[in-house]
Amino acid sequence: MDEKPITQHESLLLIQQMIQTAKREQKDDGKGWIAWGWMLFISSVLTVANLHFNWFSTYFFWNLFGIAAILIFIYETMNVLFFKKGTRVRTYTKDLFEKLNAGFFICLLFIIVAINTGVQPTKGFALLISLYAFWILIYGTALNFKPSVIGAYITWAFGIAALFLKTFEWVMVMHASAVLFGYIIPGHIAYTQFRKLHRKEKPESV
Amino acid sequence: MFKELDPILHSQLRLAVMSLLISVKEAEFTFLKEKTNATAGNLSVQIQKLKDAGYIDVVKQFKDNYPQTTCKITPKGVEAFELYVKALNEYINR
Repeated sequence: MDEKPITQHESLLLIQQMIQTAKREQKDDGKGWIAWGWMLFISSVLTVANLHFNWFSTYFFWNLFGIAAILIFIYETMNVLFFKKGTRVRTYTKDLFEKLNAGFFICLLFIIVAINTGVQPTKGFALLISLYAFWILIYGTALNFKPSVIGAYITWAFGIAALFLKTFEWVMVMHASAVLFGYIIPGHIAYTQFRKLHRKEKPESV
Repeated sequence: MFKELDPILHSQLRLAVMSLLISVKEAEFTFLKEKTNATAGNLSVQIQKLKDAGYIDVVKQFKDNYPQTTCKITPKGVEAFELYVKALNEYINR
């Protein structure tokens, strides 16, 4: 088997190139954030409109959101279990996010159950915003993704504001704003960066 | 006096494989092949050499009736890679 001789400089360049290639695998495409963000945003905005125009019961659109979220969860689980091939590469970051996602959704359920068993919805949604911010901050820090880190602090600001608001309508406005800055905008930035990165040329043959 | 460069690592494809594996937890053969643009035969040979040196662990299994080879860097491999980079820096900075 032929092996090309390499110089020390070429070795260093090769190491850098391969580490950059592996780093690209850790990049998030932002699609999950965009989908989740828009679902939350639309539910919040429709709830504000619903409270204003009295179309249905107060939580009608959140109930719809819950049903949609459960259906998507079932679809994704089936997809992963029966159709999708496993990932070809596992990174420490991906492993961390799997655990983090599980923890996030368990905490989310805790708060939703709390809202349904006596905690005021205005306070419950403020807590939810705070939970989003915590998740976004860890995500942004782990991936060194500044839009998420900034988005996390903005989300917290809306969460704190929501904590002191009395009407559910205004809490929903805060919720929609938090989701916009925490999920939707960083998600779209991540998606654009991901596409740009993967459009680059393939590495040369080694 | 400069340290001698590890001959196992001082080869283009083996070094590329090690550089990829040092950045991830584990990777499939197909991933390594795609990222290095190497041929399957050449890559297999080089992976075997890294395995024989104790630098990587190779797990071969069947998934959905297809063979799947997964590679993971070992602590010995990490140490060798770090020493190699250190030695490279010494050469370049001399």
